[in-house]
Amino acid sequence: MKQGFELEANSGKRILVFRPSVSVGSQSTGGMFEPNAEWTETAKSNIQVALTDLQARLGNEVIVAPEAYGEDALVVEEHMALFAAVSQAVIDYQFFVGNRLPTKKRDNKADVFDWSLGDGVSDLPGADQADYGLFIFNKDAYGSTGRKILQVVALLGPGVAVKSGEHVGYAGLIDLRTGDLLWLNADAAMGGDVREVDGSEKRVRQLLEDFPGSDIGEE
Amino acid sequence: MSRISWLTAICATIFASTTPLNAEPAPAPPPFAGFYQPQGVDEIGWWREDDESERRLAASPLVIRDEKLSGYLKEVLCRAVGDDRCNATRIYVMREPTFNATMSFNGTMRVFSGLLLRMRNEAELAAVLGHEFGHFESRHGLNRFKAARTGTDVLAWGALLASMGPSYDTRRTYQSMEISVYGNLYRYGRDHEREADLLGLGYLNKSSLAPQAASHVWQNLMGEIEASAVAKGLKKPKFNAIAFTASHPPHGERAAYLTALASPDSSTRDYGAQRYGETLAEWLPTFLDDQIKLNDFGGSEYIIANLAKDGWTATLWNARGELYRTRGNQRDLVHAVQFYSNAIALDDSLAIAHRGLGLSLFKTGERTRGQQALARYLELAPDSDDAKMIQMMLPQETPL
Repeated sequence: MKQGFELEANSGKRILVFRPSVSVGSQSTGGMFEPNAEWTETAKSNIQVALTDLQARLGNEVIVAPEAYGEDALVVEEHMALFAAVSQAVIDYQFFVGNRLPTKKRDNKADVFDWSLGDGVSDLPGADQADYGLFIFNKDAYGSTGRKILQVVALLGPGVAVKSGEHVGYAGLIDLRTGDLLWLNADAAMGGDVREVDGSEKRVRQLLEDFPGSDIGEE
Repeated sequence: MSRISWLTAICATIFASTTPLNAEPAPAPPPFAGFYQPQGVDEIGWWREDDESERRLAASPLVIRDEKLSGYLKEVLCRAVGDDRCNATRIYVMREPTFNATMSFNGTMRVFSGLLLRMRNEAELAAVLGHEFGHFESRHGLNRFKAARTGTDVLAWGALLASMGPSYDTRRTYQSMEISVYGNLYRYGRDHEREADLLGLGYLNKSSLAPQAASHVWQNLMGEIEASAVAKGLKKPKFNAIAFTASHPPHGERAAYLTALASPDSSTRDYGAQRYGETLAEWLPTFLDDQIKLNDFGGSEYIIANLAKDGWTATLWNARGELYRTRGNQRDLVHAVQFYSNAIALDDSLAIAHRGLGLSLFKTGERTRGQQALARYLELAPDSDDAKMIQMMLPQETPL
């Protein structure tokens, strides 16, 4: 979280949610990703519902970013890509100690969190209606039956550990005036089965567990 | 041990499928089955992934947004595969100076600008678009995914079993199985390419364009690769050798069988060189500039010479000048001056040629003539990005 940033609970802020990137599927025996459209669609709507629900509990209003056309669509796409690149840099260079960008060394020592997408974000469609922007990314691969059997046999036989399933998620909050990244949560082993309503709520709760001004993680 | 050899036998048969290619012209494509919707969990899943990716692609800065150009490509595709089929796919022109076009699961076709630079007529373009459409119609993406999944599944079990009997022999058997699975996957991919070539020629034989162009594409590409190798002082590439990991059949093989697949009585058909040239004219300077920046002297020289077969234009002379000037040896600059001068002789309003001429002359020591050329450049293009920098190379007027 960015230093000095505080979001009071129940401050009634409006949060613009950009089209979440959600991909759900299974993991084949050999470890390949097998996308599943139905799970993905279910997960997407589940996550949306859970998000609105939990933010309402925090006293924030969730606004879904409007569909963009023409030049706007290009700008939105560019910012989505920029967010992905910046958050990957944060994950690689700030969250993991010992893996430092030379330009960020001092920040890391002083524990300063200073990343930004630039003030171009204020021109994004819907940005004038909201205070903060929220980006969400989820990729889930559930171990297929074959993968699970392989896992068990590998463990019982030669005692080799085979990983079954992959659940990666991250969420980030940006200031829609300055473009500063205010908060980022990333986890390469998320819980909660997004294919179920309850599971999605758990997932979103984990994503938002230390969301500024939040107490939902403790439940 | 015996179980592992048995597994090796399975995976050898899983992928045993080759497209027979004989010397007959390619048969007409099967009747159009109507708009296809994905079926089964894998295909529906991949189409959804692809739909997302296409949504991003549509808003990507890499895509060239020119209605005239993309409209023309669509028109050529329709001419190649027929009006009923061509609406099943969408074409995106990517600003990417290499020779390639791709097709994905849901019918997203990406055509690289480098491909457009290398095609010499509409029939050649139609051959490539038809080939890509063939991948879509035969659902190659899905089949390849399934094959790769089966292959890696087999390998996962193989690795597990091999680790249970850790002797030298099991290790070796597993390794040969690995090689055979991967080798088969690559071969399977190459067979898809052959199949798409066969289908592509099927469309083309039925169309109004000359199917002979398909083979010309590869002959031309081989010419370019050879020219590039020669300029680098490398050995002549082998055009009929198949590397273990090759994704496509070798160019020589393709050129040969594509000639055989073209129906011989259609060689007098239209190639559409003029239509193609006219549509591409607007983009040619940009595409040539991108190509020159690839730093492939032999290849670029070949492409320019190829485009100039029907006569040199100011754009082509200028491109050749740029190619020599950017390589930048003193001996190159002398030629560059000549090429820019040729361009200017044909079209005096070509600002960029005056710029190149001026910069080349500066380096060959002809400062005064260089300044004249640069002054002319600024006169023609006063608002260019580098106007201020060029201004500094001109004699400074004393401030009043």
